[in-house]
Amino acid sequence: MSVLHLILELILMPLVAFVVGLALVLMMRKIAARLQRRVGPPFLQPVYDIIKLYGKDTQISHGMIHEMGIIMAVGGYIAAETLLPVPGMSGLADKGGLVTLAYVLMIPSLGLALGVGQCANPNGSIGISRALTAMLAYDVPFILVIFGVAWMYGTTNLADMIAIQQQGGPQTWGIMQMPLLALAGLLTLPAMMGKHPYEIYVAPAEIATGPMVEMSGKFMGGLFVMQCFQLYTVGVLYTTLFLGGGENWLTFLLKVFAVLAIPMSIAYLFPRYRTEDVLRLMWKWPVLIGLLGLAVVMK
Amino acid sequence: MTPLDQLLLLSGLSVLAIWLIGNRQISGWSATLFYAIQGVALLRMSGLAYGEVQGIESAVTLQVLEHALHWRFDGLSWFFALITIGAAFLVSWFAGGEWGQRYREAGGSLRVFHTALALNVFAMLVLLASGDLLSLFIGWELVSWASFLMMALGSATAMRYAMRYLSYAFAGAMAVLGALALVYAETGSFEFQALKEAVPAMDSASLWALLILFSAGFGVKMALLPLHLWQAKAYSETPGPGAAFLGAISSRMGLFALVVVLVQLLGVAQLSDMQLLFTFFSAHDLLAWVAIFTLIFATFTALRQHDARRLLAWHGIGQGGYMLLGVVIADDLGSAGGLMHVFNHATYQAALFMVVTAVIHRTGTSDLNKLGGLVARMPLSFFVMLIGIIGLAGLPPMNGFVSKWLIYRSLIIDGSPLLFLGAVVGTLGTILSVYKLIHNTFLGQLRVEHVDVEEAPWSMMIPMLMLSAIIFVTGYFPGLVLAWVSAVQAAVGLPVLDYTLGGVSMEKGGLDMIWIVSVLLVGFGIGTLIFLGTGRSKRVHQLDNYAGGHFLTAETRYQYSDNFYPGLMHLIGPWYRKSFRWAERGLVSAIDSASLLMQGLYRQTQPAFYLLVVVVFALSWVIVQ
Repeated sequence: MSVLHLILELILMPLVAFVVGLALVLMMRKIAARLQRRVGPPFLQPVYDIIKLYGKDTQISHGMIHEMGIIMAVGGYIAAETLLPVPGMSGLADKGGLVTLAYVLMIPSLGLALGVGQCANPNGSIGISRALTAMLAYDVPFILVIFGVAWMYGTTNLADMIAIQQQGGPQTWGIMQMPLLALAGLLTLPAMMGKHPYEIYVAPAEIATGPMVEMSGKFMGGLFVMQCFQLYTVGVLYTTLFLGGGENWLTFLLKVFAVLAIPMSIAYLFPRYRTEDVLRLMWKWPVLIGLLGLAVVMK
Repeated sequence: MTPLDQLLLLSGLSVLAIWLIGNRQISGWSATLFYAIQGVALLRMSGLAYGEVQGIESAVTLQVLEHALHWRFDGLSWFFALITIGAAFLVSWFAGGEWGQRYREAGGSLRVFHTALALNVFAMLVLLASGDLLSLFIGWELVSWASFLMMALGSATAMRYAMRYLSYAFAGAMAVLGALALVYAETGSFEFQALKEAVPAMDSASLWALLILFSAGFGVKMALLPLHLWQAKAYSETPGPGAAFLGAISSRMGLFALVVVLVQLLGVAQLSDMQLLFTFFSAHDLLAWVAIFTLIFATFTALRQHDARRLLAWHGIGQGGYMLLGVVIADDLGSAGGLMHVFNHATYQAALFMVVTAVIHRTGTSDLNKLGGLVARMPLSFFVMLIGIIGLAGLPPMNGFVSKWLIYRSLIIDGSPLLFLGAVVGTLGTILSVYKLIHNTFLGQLRVEHVDVEEAPWSMMIPMLMLSAIIFVTGYFPGLVLAWVSAVQAAVGLPVLDYTLGGVSMEKGGLDMIWIVSVLLVGFGIGTLIFLGTGRSKRVHQLDNYAGGHFLTAETRYQYSDNFYPGLMHLIGPWYRKSFRWAERGLVSAIDSASLLMQGLYRQTQPAFYLLVVVVFALSWVIVQ
């Protein structure tokens, strides 16, 4: 593969991720709306939102780190997308692999945390304390899943994992080979995305307490872009690990959308959990199922 | 005179020269110069670090009874010596300028401080050069006393904890001495080679005894669980630059000795063969779990600290767990990770202690409840701390990530999910804890009394920036350090890592940091372009923010570090039971009672009682007979 080809891939992968991420945001909103018997936003609403946020007149900055935090949040995800293979493009999948990806994904969170920290707003800091606690909660089962998958496929290279699953057909997909780990992964998905019912740190209903409290204009826009990437990353990662990746773009996108739609549709049945309950929940069921799954996989 | 003799002689002369220069301002800079000269002497032996030379012997030997003591350097010694001298160089630079002036004005003696530092370096070099078990023991004792000298320089609290360290170190030294006696009984010699050859023939009981005595003895210095209670407070109370030096390298001497004894002499294969009775556990697993518990326990203790120095010192204990874990996994990836972590840890721990010292220099406190918002006044120090905490937390693009990645990767290959989980939980706890550190020092609200604080002086800033550059560059090009690490592996008989400049090239998922870091930098660049290309933002005063209907004023304090993670503590708070503190107290009072009893016996305060005891024993003996 020529260097030019690789550079093209590295440019395209984040762009595709962004566009698909916008569509995923739209889908989530539609699902939420339908469950609450509303019509929901129009098709281009996520695009309008971004244009609106970036175009606002009032943009309050609390200092250099506030700005740097947003840059780290967006930039970290742009880099992470190049580690995540998609049909026809594997980018830097062989340079990093699953463990590296899991750690690169923490950079945007750290960026956000730093940015909010400089706002000197107690409500923002409370939100970050909750967000980091939630990270500790969902990363424990997620790590078990990562380990099981890497052990099962004998590699940490995501492109290899896709190749192994696609060669053997659907019966060799991760979800067939390690259903318990797949279930544990599915249970942690909503928490990783910070979506309902694990969204207490964003606190959409209590706007005064959350990382967003001092974010206006393009700062909020940066977080919106980050959310698009976040949904895409989680969906694609799950598809790669358990659903055989994508043979072509059609099946790939179908899988990614399904991965996010299914848990989201169920999630709205549950009330929003408090931080300590997120911990208790994540450390109990997904971890138990994940450990069982590991025992089965490793025999 | 071999290059090794020159190095040791230079180091010894430095101690003398610094003592003679005395309590003058110049002593700091001259110490820096001496360490630079020692560094040059060390670089003359750099053949060791690239596998060109196998070992450099010292021309000096000592005859004790019929045993010859000798000293030598190999790849392992060179690697640790590099970190030692590098740390001393930067620390003395840091202490040479305004810090030293302030220290002297406050009544401290620069003569004692710099002599203690030079003595530490000298003792460590002697330890690293040890060529047999007896010289290892002598070096070990020198290092223990030298670091005591350093710790005892601080306040009254420091003295108390230094004394505590001393009792731990004594117990550890006795354990090592016991192990030496055992070795001598088995082999009749103190040579490394003799022990190595005798190990396969030894029975399991004496192997276990050796393992436990050596691990306990050397584990004290590394503050392995359950011997960790002394370290955090003793280190954090040491004068700032001294704490940076001790935190960076001093406790790693324990790891050095453990590597020599466990890996080089006993052999890791031997450890895996030693089964613990009635369990599936081998000695190898036991050590790995000690490492994991040290990591998790110390990290989550750090999470609860509200003094910046103490928080860092607890992390220092925890990170030692990664090193031991990597070394006992003992495959090419894991051991490389563990050994590389020694270097990485030294760089970011020194940088972080220096930043905290700089903050103390400017504000007078390291209490996280009394700081905050300093990024507006000390932006460069903030960046050093940011780079340091990213390294400590083990996130890309800093060097801490690479060593941890190597350990994770080898645990996956090894098939140890629970160790892997433990290692990652340690990292997650570290992220929470270091965010608390940077948030409560540099972010959040700037206190009224700190409005006029200035950036740290350049004499402090330059070494901090140099360390930051090392942390970043060795994260970008980990092959630079992995070259030395692979020489260490070859020297102690571990499988040698096949490294590249960017990391590790493996068929089943390798790591190339050059690409990862480049793409991250480009990502940040694009993020910056997007940010700067859209709309203009307006800077506002820190109190001009939205607080849900309330208005924050300079009097409204919100910076908090007590219970910074209330949700988490709600769940795991009750798990902090201070069990080790209790156990230590229990042990202390048991020894107290025993010595009281012995004292009574010695002074014959209860003659009638002794008469009774003797009669009972005599009678029962007669009856049994």
